[in-house]
Amino acid sequence: MKRVSTEHFGQWVNADEKVRFTFEGNEINGLAGDSVASALIANNQWLQSRSFKYHRPRGPITLCGHDANTLVQTPTTPNLLADHLRAEDHLAVSAQNYTGSLNFDLSRMLDWFGRFLPVGFYYKAFFKPRGIWAYWEPIVRKAAGLGVSNPKVKAPYNDKTYVFCDIAVVGAGPAGLNAALHAANSGAKVVLIEQEPHLGGSLNYHGFGYSSSPSTTTGSDENSDAATHSEMGEPFSTTAAQRNTLVKAVEAHPNIRILRSATCNAWFTDHYLPVLQGTRLIKLRARQTILATGSSEQHVVFRNNDLPGVVMCSALDRLTRLYGVIPSAPIVVLAGNDHAYRTALSSHDGGANVQAIVDLRDRCDDSALSEEAHARGITLYAGCTVYEASSSATGHALSKVTVHRFGSDGEASEKAATLDCGVLAMSAGFMPAYQLACQAGAVLSYDDETAQFQLSNLPAGMHLAGSVDSVFSLASVEASGRNAARQALRSLDVELAADEDENITCNEQVNHPWPFVKHPKGREFVDFDEDLQIKDIVNATRLGYRDIQLVKRFSTVGMGPSQGRHSALPTARLVAKATNRSVNETGVTTARPPLTPEPLGLLAGRRFHPLRRTPLHDRHLDLGAQMMPAGNWQRPAFYGAQEQRATAIQEEVNAVRTEVGIIDVSTLGGIELRGPDAAEFMNRLYTFGFAKQPIGKTRYAVLTNELGVVADDGVAARIGENHYYVTATTSGVDRVYRDMLKWNAQWRLDVDIANVTSAFSAVNIAGPKSRDVLTALACDITLEADDFPYLAYREATLAGVPARMMRVGFVGELGYELHVPSPYIGVLWDRLMEAGQAFGIRAFGVEAQRLLRLEKGHIIVGQDTDGMTQPDEVSLRWAIAKKKPFFVGAKSVEILSKAPLERKLVGFELGATAPQPKEGHLVIRDGDIVGSVTSCEYSPTLNKIIGLAYVHPADSTSGAEVVIRTDNAVHVHARVADTPFYDPDNARQAL
Amino acid sequence: MSEQRDNPFESPLRGATYEGAISIKDFTNKRRWGFRGKDAATTLRAEGWRLPDAPNQVVLANEQTLVMALSQREFWFLDTRTEALSEDARDGAFTDGMYPLFCQNSHAWFVVNGYQTSEMMAKLCGVDLSCDAFKVGDVAQTQMALINCIVTRHELDGEDVFSLLVDQSYAEYALEALLDARAEYL
Repeated sequence: MKRVSTEHFGQWVNADEKVRFTFEGNEINGLAGDSVASALIANNQWLQSRSFKYHRPRGPITLCGHDANTLVQTPTTPNLLADHLRAEDHLAVSAQNYTGSLNFDLSRMLDWFGRFLPVGFYYKAFFKPRGIWAYWEPIVRKAAGLGVSNPKVKAPYNDKTYVFCDIAVVGAGPAGLNAALHAANSGAKVVLIEQEPHLGGSLNYHGFGYSSSPSTTTGSDENSDAATHSEMGEPFSTTAAQRNTLVKAVEAHPNIRILRSATCNAWFTDHYLPVLQGTRLIKLRARQTILATGSSEQHVVFRNNDLPGVVMCSALDRLTRLYGVIPSAPIVVLAGNDHAYRTALSSHDGGANVQAIVDLRDRCDDSALSEEAHARGITLYAGCTVYEASSSATGHALSKVTVHRFGSDGEASEKAATLDCGVLAMSAGFMPAYQLACQAGAVLSYDDETAQFQLSNLPAGMHLAGSVDSVFSLASVEASGRNAARQALRSLDVELAADEDENITCNEQVNHPWPFVKHPKGREFVDFDEDLQIKDIVNATRLGYRDIQLVKRFSTVGMGPSQGRHSALPTARLVAKATNRSVNETGVTTARPPLTPEPLGLLAGRRFHPLRRTPLHDRHLDLGAQMMPAGNWQRPAFYGAQEQRATAIQEEVNAVRTEVGIIDVSTLGGIELRGPDAAEFMNRLYTFGFAKQPIGKTRYAVLTNELGVVADDGVAARIGENHYYVTATTSGVDRVYRDMLKWNAQWRLDVDIANVTSAFSAVNIAGPKSRDVLTALACDITLEADDFPYLAYREATLAGVPARMMRVGFVGELGYELHVPSPYIGVLWDRLMEAGQAFGIRAFGVEAQRLLRLEKGHIIVGQDTDGMTQPDEVSLRWAIAKKKPFFVGAKSVEILSKAPLERKLVGFELGATAPQPKEGHLVIRDGDIVGSVTSCEYSPTLNKIIGLAYVHPADSTSGAEVVIRTDNAVHVHARVADTPFYDPDNARQAL
Repeated sequence: MSEQRDNPFESPLRGATYEGAISIKDFTNKRRWGFRGKDAATTLRAEGWRLPDAPNQVVLANEQTLVMALSQREFWFLDTRTEALSEDARDGAFTDGMYPLFCQNSHAWFVVNGYQTSEMMAKLCGVDLSCDAFKVGDVAQTQMALINCIVTRHELDGEDVFSLLVDQSYAEYALEALLDARAEYL
């Protein structure tokens, strides 16, 4: 290889800046701007990977990231495309999917036994005896592996962002640049998406003529004789100048945002385009989409067409023009169209030894091209094909091709020549990059007469530009871009000043109708990703898989990383011929997102985990709280060291039972109901009667849904005639609020409903000395039981803070729930803690609260109920008004109440030393599961294990014995007990 | 804690200010109030308040008070200069057609300033907040980093700024998300 660095060869590399990286442990010298693949080729390293199934040696085919042959990995990331991976200093690159070494892959023997591994072999081989697949699967998967992920690597920082525009232009080649510029000039906000780091697309490497300026090499090889190019055609310098003008205008345009090195990976409804760029996923919202995605060059299917050194013509163009890598070995060009001639001439201009052009056709459409090639001494083999490619002794690189006559019937006949070569560039045609359009519902049709494609049935707002719309001459492509912009602008109702669409005529024949050369020894690859040959596709049809979609699923054709870019057309042609249909009738496989493999990290993006904190959060931490999640909330589980959990909880419980404790209950839901119909609304929604609830009183509020299931509970305080304040469970408040809005949308009552969960924060101060603590504060109301009895509601000023006070008994002691405006809960907490010092106040957490309420037998909706729990099962019949005509779920509750209960929630107890059941442990009766434990704790106050469990109704009476299956299948016999376990007369909470 | 007793209002953001190409300031302790109900608009206009003509708009009612219309019958008042008053913490009286709101206590308030704010917000919010699409005077009731957020663009002391109002319990989370999104613009 030699390196050329001129204005038009090696455009993307900087000859003055070297980079060094390693490949398979060997140091590789490259130039700044090189891809790993181009640098490797420049170092004669064509072998860059092993194939998926047969472990055949593989090298780049497209050099634009459109094939799986360049999959490599770095220490941090597997499955990177070497032709997209920038070569950088200190980069350590290795090949993947080999056993032993890349050069000597022991798994290569699979290729030798290929005849025993036909398409779908594992479907047939590994399904008997039953269950044997479980044995084979890991072996097959390991053998067919790709890269190896490194679990020790810290995940990179990925994020997502939204971008909005009027028109998204996908592809910054000549069509895309013209479309973007034309649209932006009319005032549209344009986002231009380009997969490569440079704009220009084919203008960067394809001459659209063939001539170029004389080159000068930077290497030691001889100068080329390219100066003797002919008079005809458009010189590359003109194309380059045209590109530079376009790119400059686009880059300078204020209405165009350019996304380089970015891949539009899908099209979703309403022009929602996910664009991958580096570590960021851009969620692009466009009003119109112009697809200027170009077309994928197609390969010729002949024996050993996968050898390293066999490339697409466009790949050779990229290698020379973009990276300045000029093969020293002879080049043979296999042409199915005139584009291949341009590649031959372009490479020749770069100083390459283009030995021959083998043309599948009888003649070149543009005779001037063949004359020019002839004039340059390039041998033409018209009406011929490469019949077989052969490798060097190592088997890792192309060394020669045999050329046979190729008839119009698509059959190879006698041998015409054997040519030594190091590179074979081929072009059988171009297939539109149809994937995004077809994801949007477009239909790809094929004219069997002209071998041309057509995309139709585009969704509203999608437009095609350039070769994706099967136009190929430069003038046509550019006009196509401008026309697409006009169409998009019209759809946006932009007034165009006498702007008629330009006429486009392009009759260039680019697709050879039958580029298949069957060989008796096979290995003519249709799909490089999946190692599928002609016989594999044909055999699939013979096995009955006549539909192209079934062929895909059976053979896995098109399911590799290149997603059928090169295999879809040849597969369709083979299936069509094998099933005596046209290609158009056969169709191509369905294109689905994503277009290219995408890192899962990009889909995950930055991990948003919304966390809610009460205003007292820092104070809890200062007290040594161990925080626990409660939905999105962070709540103190207990206060103290983790290893002293049990002791801490026990001390907190004791404080509440004997002195005074305080817990942050700011997470409780709070809903404000105001208006003339507030009482009516409450009465319709909750099970209890609320119409006659006295002002200044609280009432337990149970909510059932339409199915009669207990959905939530809380406490309703009547603040005024038309004013209620209702609490809801921490996790249920959003649902309750939503349901309230839904019901009121139907009932149309005159009530304002506000979710004030965050507006109010609350603490529950509980224990026999809780009144003393409050009294010690400056409180402007009387707290004695006669004035402020159990279940009463009062408003007061505590420590200067306005407070809503409720006498509650959730933990079974004298207690007050203090609800205050959130910004003021901090000062109230501080004052309570200060005042409470003299009374032994202690903060308690969720764990202690759970135990305290369990001792009282109070249920927690969501923990002690499930999605089927009806009020009778949890003994809530008392909370249902008997005389109310209606409440949500009333009819269902009535129906359910008439049927025999299938389970009942009861209290149970065990000795302190018995194995302690856990939540979820099963209750067994006569060998059947009849229920489960919902809550269970050891109670230091009672010195026994207590819990709640669903049991068979026959076992629900006090004293009955139930069997609970605990850990390790140990059955314990628990005694059903009345609740409350503690203070059964409820005297303490009513003090 | 004696200082807090003198000024007991506590912002979950503690008045934090982050200067830079994009500045973030805690305005949570600034005064705000609101009303909603079928009579709210009529009553407020009768009181002399200038209200937005349509929902999801904000206007400067006087030199320091912004009025946001969140619906035809819901209005929030944001006073950009006055500190929260402890007497505002008490429940306001309501009439059948006009109910006071709790926005002083329920929401934290960020003011974000910098010419790349829209771009930064695009990392957190699915609404187009670019200058062309989201003009001064616009309000969006949307989500930011998966939590509910009211975004408005208005002028403050002659500068074009964004105000973000989020549930106060998510304030610290929202700040972390904003700081993370802002990091690349420093």
